[in-house]
Amino acid sequence: MPLLRNGELVCNDNWILIEDESDLPKNHSTMLISLTRYLALQHSETNSAVGVLLTPTDDVHLLSPHKRKLKLIGIEFPSFTEGRGYTQARLLRKRIGYQGELRAFGDIREDQVSFMQRNGIDSFHFADQPDKALVQQLVSRFKTGYQPSYQYPG
Amino acid sequence: MYQYTKEDRALVQSRVAEFRDQVERYRDGKLDEDEFKQLRLRNGLYYQRHAYMLRVAIPYGVLSSKQLHTLGRIAEQYDKGYGHFTTRQNIQYNWPELHDVPDLLQDLADVDMHAIQTSGNCIRNTTTDPLAGAVADEIEDPRPWCELIRQWSTLHPEFNWLPRKFKIAVTGSANDRAAVQVHDIGLRLIKNDKGETGFEVLVGGGLGRTPYIGSVINEFLPTADLLTYLNAILRVYNQEGRRDNLYKARIKILVNAKGIDAFKKRVDLEWAQSRFEDDTFTKEHIDQLKSQFPAPKPLATELPEHASEVNSNPLFNQWYQSNTTAHRDSRRRIVFISLKSATAPAGDATAEQMQAIAKLASTFSDSEIRSTHEQNLVLPHVPVGDLYALWKALVKENLATANIGKLSDMIVCPGLDFCSLANAGTITIYDQINARFDNLDYQHELGDISIKISGCMNACGHHHVGDIGILGVEKNGAEWYQLTLGGHAGNKAALGKRLGKAIPQSDVADAIEHILQTFIDQRHEQESFASTFERIGLEPFKENVYATAA
Ligand code: SF4
Repeated sequence: MPLLRNGELVCNDNWILIEDESDLPKNHSTMLISLTRYLALQHSETNSAVGVLLTPTDDVHLLSPHKRKLKLIGIEFPSFTEGRGYTQARLLRKRIGYQGELRAFGDIREDQVSFMQRNGIDSFHFADQPDKALVQQLVSRFKTGYQPSYQYPG
Repeated sequence: MYQYTKEDRALVQSRVAEFRDQVERYRDGKLDEDEFKQLRLRNGLYYQRHAYMLRVAIPYGVLSSKQLHTLGRIAEQYDKGYGHFTTRQNIQYNWPELHDVPDLLQDLADVDMHAIQTSGNCIRNTTTDPLAGAVADEIEDPRPWCELIRQWSTLHPEFNWLPRKFKIAVTGSANDRAAVQVHDIGLRLIKNDKGETGFEVLVGGGLGRTPYIGSVINEFLPTADLLTYLNAILRVYNQEGRRDNLYKARIKILVNAKGIDAFKKRVDLEWAQSRFEDDTFTKEHIDQLKSQFPAPKPLATELPEHASEVNSNPLFNQWYQSNTTAHRDSRRRIVFISLKSATAPAGDATAEQMQAIAKLASTFSDSEIRSTHEQNLVLPHVPVGDLYALWKALVKENLATANIGKLSDMIVCPGLDFCSLANAGTITIYDQINARFDNLDYQHELGDISIKISGCMNACGHHHVGDIGILGVEKNGAEWYQLTLGGHAGNKAALGKRLGKAIPQSDVADAIEHILQTFIDQRHEQESFASTFERIGLEPFKENVYATAA
C-alpha cells in the first residue's frame, strides 16, 4: 500500500495491521493493534507493542501514559468525510505530547493532506497511489492560516 | 468596515487557485463525483434542480459599494441578471456554469470576497444584527467580534469535517435582531455588575426538522476567552455529535440528548485544558479590528430642515414610517431597502438594482450596505436631509416598496422552483399572498406581522418563527401547506403552534385572509398580531380557518 511521508513515497515500510481476531505474532514490534488490545497487553510480560490503530470513537487520552513507548499511532478515517480523526490528532500532539509518527489510514484524499498535517499527522497510508506532485502542490499552496497553533509543517 | 490585510488577500487568492484546480481535475475525471461534491460544497457550490448554484459569503452582512457593484456585475456576466439574498445574509446565484465559477470567484477575490464555507458540514458565515454600529440600543458593536470569528473559523484545520453544518450568530444589542436563540451557537454581548463586557453563550438552538430554542451554556464569558471557548464547544461536537443519521447530526440533538448540564460539564472539562492550548487573540488584534469599524463621519451640527414635500407627500411618509428607523445620531436615519416587491421573488435583486444601490450607498450612506436575514438590504447611515432624494431614486429602481416588517415583507426559501429537497413551491405562495393583499394601506393598518415560508421541513424560510409560518408538504404528489401561528425570533424566541391540518395550494391565501380577519376582529386598538395571538390563543383562528374551509 502506498505510503506518503514528508512528501515522499516510502516503500520500505514494515508496519502491518493485526486485527483483533488474529493471533499476535511473538515479536510484535512493527504491529499495529487496536487500542483495546494494546491496553490489555500492558499487563502481559511479553508485551513489546509500540503501535496502535485508533478508530474514530477511541479516546486518545488513554494513550497518555504510553506516549513515550509508542512509535506509531494510526488514525483510521473510515470515510473521507469523517472528521473525528482531526481532533484525535490534535489532542495527541497538543495535549498528550505524543512525538512519534502519526499516520492517517483509510479513505483519505490528496486534498485533505494539508489539513491533516496541521493537526500533526505526518504520514499518509493511501489506498491507491497518490499523485505525489499534486500533493506537493496542494500542501504548499497556503502559506499562512488564521490558526497559528495549528502549524504548517516545515 | 474591515479592510483585508495582505495575508487575508493571499489566502482568498490561494483558495481561488485551489478551487480552479479542483474544477479542472473534476472535468478531467481525476476527481470522482462524491469527492468533488464535498470539495465544491466547502466552497459554496451546490448542484440544484436545474443547474449549479453558488452561494457567496457576505461576512456578517456587511458590504461596501464596490463589492455590491461587483455582485451586480457578476449577476449580469455569469448569471441571468439577478441574484438572491438569503436568510443568512449571503447572496446566491442560481445559474452559473461550472466552467465559469473559477473566474467568478476570481472576480470576487479581487474585491475581497469569497464563497468559502457557505455550504458543507463546516462552520458557516457568522451572522449578526444588520443595524450594528448604527442603532442606539447597542452594548457594543458585534462586527469586530464577527470578523474575529470569521478569521478563526476560515479553513479551520480541525473543524472542516463536522457531523453537520454549524452556524454562529452574534448580537451586540439587547434587542436581538440576529435570532441568536435559533443558532448552533448564539452570542450575546452583555455587561456584568462590574461593567465588564462579556458574552452570554447559547448553544443548541436551531430550526429545521426538530426545532429548538438554544440553552444558555455560559452566563458570562469574558470576551478574551471567546475563541478558546468556541473551540472547546466545536471539539466536543466534532467528537460526540452523531454521524450515523443526517437528521440527528446537528449540535442541538447532542445538547438535547445529553441535557444542557451534562453538555456544559463536558465542554468545561475540555476547556479547562484546551484554553491553554488553542488559539486565542491579543488585545492589540481585537483593538485593531475595532478600529476598522469607525462611526460614520460627523455631519454638520445643524439638523437639516425637512423640505415641504416631506410632509405633504403621503407616499414618502408611508415609506419613511415603515422603511426607516432611528439612527444613534439623530441627524441620520437607517434606511431599509425592500427586496419584496410583487414583481420578483423575495430577496431577488437584479444586476441593475444592485448597481444602483451601490451607487446610492456611496452617495448617501458612507459607501456601506448591509444584508438582513429578512432578505432585505439596509443603508445604515443616511443623513436625514437626504432621505427624500434617496426615496425618489429608490422609487425609480422599483426599490421603495414601503412594506418593511409588514405582511408582504415575507421570508421565503427558494422552494420547488430551485431546491432539490423541496416538497412544495414557495414562490407561488408568495405571489398568491402578494396578489391577494396588494393594498399597502391595509398592510400598514395591520401593523408589523411576519409571514415565513419554507418549502420543506429543513425550514430555510424559518417558518417556525413567523407570526404566520407556512410549511410546504407533499400529499399524494400534490403541494399542500401546513400553517403555524405565534412564532417569534426576537428576544423571547418562540416556535409557532400548528394551526391544524394541511391546506391545499389553492386555499392558502383564503386561509391567510381568515387569520387576518380574526386578528382584526379580536384586536385591541393598535395591538400587534403577536400580542393578540398571545392573548387569545390558537382556537379563534382555527375555528375561522377550518369552519369556512370545510
Ligand atoms: S426549506 Fe427545504 S425547500 Fe426550502 S430551501 Fe430549505 S431545503 Fe430547500
